[in-house]
Amino acid sequence: MSQVFHDIEKKIITSLKDNATQTPDSLESSTNLSPDQIRRGIEWLKLKDLAIVTESKTSTISLGKNGLESFQKGLPERRLLDLLNDGPRKLSDLQKELGPVFGPAMGLARKNNWVDTSADQISLKDLPSDLPGEKTLKQIGNNALSQNEIDKNDLLILLKRPDFIVEDIIKTKEITLTDSAKSLVLSDSSGAIDVEAKVPEVFVARTHPLKDTLDEISEIFVTLGFSEIIGNMTQSSFWNFDALFTPQDHPARELQDTFYLDGISAKKIATPEQIRKVSDSHKKNWRYNWDINEARKMALRTHTTCVTIKHLAENKPDEARVFSLGRVFRNEKVSYKHLVEFNQIEGVVVGKDANLRNLMGIQREFYKRIGITKIKFWPTFFPYTEPSLQTMVYNERLGKWIELFGMGIFRPEVTKPLGITKPVLAWGGGIERIAMLKYGLDDVREFYNNNLNWLRSATKCQ
Amino acid sequence: MPVVELSYIRLQKLVGKVSKKQISDSLPFLGLDIESEDKDLVRVEYSPNRPDYSTDFGIALGLQGLLGIKTGAIKLNIKKSTQYKISVDSKVSKIRPFVTGIIAKNGKIDDKTIKQFMTMQEDLHFGIGRKRKKSSIGIHDLDKISFPLSYTIANRNHKFIPLTSQKELSISEILQNTDVGKDYGHLLGNSSNMPVILDVNKQTVSFPPIINAAITTVTTKTKNLFVEVTGINKEDAEDMLSVVATILQKAGFSLETVQISGAKNSTPKLGEKKISVDSLLINQILGLNLNTSKIVSSLKKSRLDASIKGKKIICTIPAYRFDIFGPMDLVEETALGYGIQNLEPTLSPSQTIGQTNPVSSQLKSLSKIMVGLGYLEALNSSLTSKRVLYDLTNRDSTKIISVLDSKSQEHTILRDLILPGLLENLSKNIHESYPQRLFEIGTVFTLENPISEKINFSGISAHQDANFTEIKSIIQSALKTGFDVKIDTKTATHPAFEDGRCASIVIDKKSVGIVGEINSKIIENYKIRVPVIGFELSLSDSILKSV
Repeated sequence: MSQVFHDIEKKIITSLKDNATQTPDSLESSTNLSPDQIRRGIEWLKLKDLAIVTESKTSTISLGKNGLESFQKGLPERRLLDLLNDGPRKLSDLQKELGPVFGPAMGLARKNNWVDTSADQISLKDLPSDLPGEKTLKQIGNNALSQNEIDKNDLLILLKRPDFIVEDIIKTKEITLTDSAKSLVLSDSSGAIDVEAKVPEVFVARTHPLKDTLDEISEIFVTLGFSEIIGNMTQSSFWNFDALFTPQDHPARELQDTFYLDGISAKKIATPEQIRKVSDSHKKNWRYNWDINEARKMALRTHTTCVTIKHLAENKPDEARVFSLGRVFRNEKVSYKHLVEFNQIEGVVVGKDANLRNLMGIQREFYKRIGITKIKFWPTFFPYTEPSLQTMVYNERLGKWIELFGMGIFRPEVTKPLGITKPVLAWGGGIERIAMLKYGLDDVREFYNNNLNWLRSATKCQ
Repeated sequence: MPVVELSYIRLQKLVGKVSKKQISDSLPFLGLDIESEDKDLVRVEYSPNRPDYSTDFGIALGLQGLLGIKTGAIKLNIKKSTQYKISVDSKVSKIRPFVTGIIAKNGKIDDKTIKQFMTMQEDLHFGIGRKRKKSSIGIHDLDKISFPLSYTIANRNHKFIPLTSQKELSISEILQNTDVGKDYGHLLGNSSNMPVILDVNKQTVSFPPIINAAITTVTTKTKNLFVEVTGINKEDAEDMLSVVATILQKAGFSLETVQISGAKNSTPKLGEKKISVDSLLINQILGLNLNTSKIVSSLKKSRLDASIKGKKIICTIPAYRFDIFGPMDLVEETALGYGIQNLEPTLSPSQTIGQTNPVSSQLKSLSKIMVGLGYLEALNSSLTSKRVLYDLTNRDSTKIISVLDSKSQEHTILRDLILPGLLENLSKNIHESYPQRLFEIGTVFTLENPISEKINFSGISAHQDANFTEIKSIIQSALKTGFDVKIDTKTATHPAFEDGRCASIVIDKKSVGIVGEINSKIIENYKIRVPVIGFELSLSDSILKSV
């Protein structure tokens, strides 16, 4: 047995080995420990099943204040009868001689018919040799006795009288070692503690798990040569939709899909040339009356593409790799798979030789770095890219293919009006989906519940 | 995205000799996402730019191309007929000016075909018809109609028996009492005149874009069809008609023309268009080196016709492919015909050096400092509710920024402060062990030209001994360690904080935030049972150089 003991425990065990049954008091003197140390030590040993504590109760009786007085001077009624034995006396004299005990003495004497009273004269009628309780009072007065040596009925009489008898219950504790403790060999490593015992849980402060995923993804793109750009979450419809060749009557622009800000329009949305060229592209290709007021309406961005397209329109780079990462908004019913507000990454590559296979290559590399190797590409449709693809990745846990990033090459109808001349590869998608795979969540809402139980327990390094 | 339900057995009949597996493997490569599968039935999502995929007939045409069973453009064989005429009254010009149409004869219609036509009609109305505003379609039993027809106006008392009704209703009654009338009546405005298509006997054929007459209802007994499309724009109406004509031809009908005249209307041509594309562009964009004949065969698999002229490819595009705007669309058609699965991803070396945005880097460092101080990072939505943001913290809500028609009551206004959200987080965690310490760094919004977005930083601590000194120490240390910034605190009042236990945070003589003990009434509002202290300050106004 390789148990480690506290010094207190060791001293108690050693003492009990010498003297098998002891009380706390005797342990105190044999070990030189304080009463509190003894109490704790016994408690520890009891929990470890090394000590047995037997508690017993005994009760003793002794005389109270009135009992003691009666033992010394005689019971009040005895003293009354003794005075009357010399002849009848006046009531007032007796009162004076006996003091406060006269009342109870007189009561008992009358009740038992020991005296006669006429006018203020009191005379003895009978003098019993033993008064009730008298024998017991003497027995107790000579020595405190245990109850079973005493005439119970006689005691009862005394117990009824105020402050005659005091009952004491004495608890005694006896400590012995269990068999396993008796055979213990105590090591002499001092100061050691039980390192195998359980300890309380402490909670680590940490960054949010979703934030970790965002940072991780951002870092991957930085190492792939991309620079981060940031932009506003509130955007004019011009940059969120019109500049991206999404016609003004397109269903995606309707209230039920997009959050418009109540009564808020932007005064300045773009340069006059940008506005003219974008509106011309819409009129020519979509055949409708483009309305600048529609383009002024402020909305919560539905994708981060508006940030990248604005950046490209302002800088017109011949070569660039940029990405933006941030919150986007959709007017959807919140459910286990949909949020109204979630994070999206959007990246672009500009360059004269940028092509679709490069775009697919960047995706494959990105997925590889987040640990996803089983991927495939399917065609899809976005209003602002042509060709357009989506990535499907295989999730082992779910046992199925799930859709991740969408991608494509910006349409000439998007780039030309904004003066962007080189091909622009673009891709993007939601981060929460990736984070859900990472943390094994089935309900996307968990990321924004700030449930401390989850935040404190989600594994950080995985 | 719209969804169409398909039967493998029907598709196999329509496509030709193919297995079920070949079909299900190929569907995604037409851009059709399989949503669910149940034995013979498969539901697929299709892109709104391909309304021809709203029926199994259209999808079968695509599959034939991709699988190499039938390639090249689908040609509409429309017999010129003089038997069917529509004359247009100029009085409709102000309401719904254009009508177009086609005759489809000798087809077989079973229940499943009717179902396919109905979903096609619905999807065309919703998508390219823009909820019937741009264009809408009516499919009728030809044999119940006596030509010539007139597209004209009627007043609101005009009566006929509409589809699915047993009795005659006036136009007013249809608009007021039927679902379609209520949904689409607004498209016709307040005019007393309503557009109608009447036959030679003045019998009502259709009340576009609302409802057809019951008499022309298509059933499994119908052999011959009359299709009309009305709209506010001639090209859009003809685009929609071209989709229907292509589908009906694939469904086995023989097409014949309807002659249309009057008020700028004319007989639809549904002709092809030609677009040329440079083979160099195709190879450049796809990152391939295909020869021109491979490009041509790929385009044909995408059901287009193509011929070679030097380095150029001349493409012939049928009318129903109005999603094709220019050469870049042909690049995609080439890629689809070539097969996306045949494109090997390549990683070209980067010529650029990447970097994190400086603002993001600073915020990340601040997060690490807060973690070091024992604070757990929380994330809340920018869109929240008036209840959490203003009512529970007893703040003035006159300058709120709300969104229109949110589907979620918890997400109706943009936050101007982070702290109320953190209090709400504490309130949802009262059963978890204390101390609870949270922080959040995020964007807040205020009305200013038109919206100003700033980055705020807020922290909160809740436990039995929480007091002002603790929270001031925290914000002091965080800013000192993070940015070597010294703060001062000046007595202040704030509805969310306890009077006498609240101070403004001052940096360089400018008040940039608030710190203190949260008001006990507010704590009660959030049903929290321990003292709470907190702070919030604007990083954009103090520390961040460029936001």
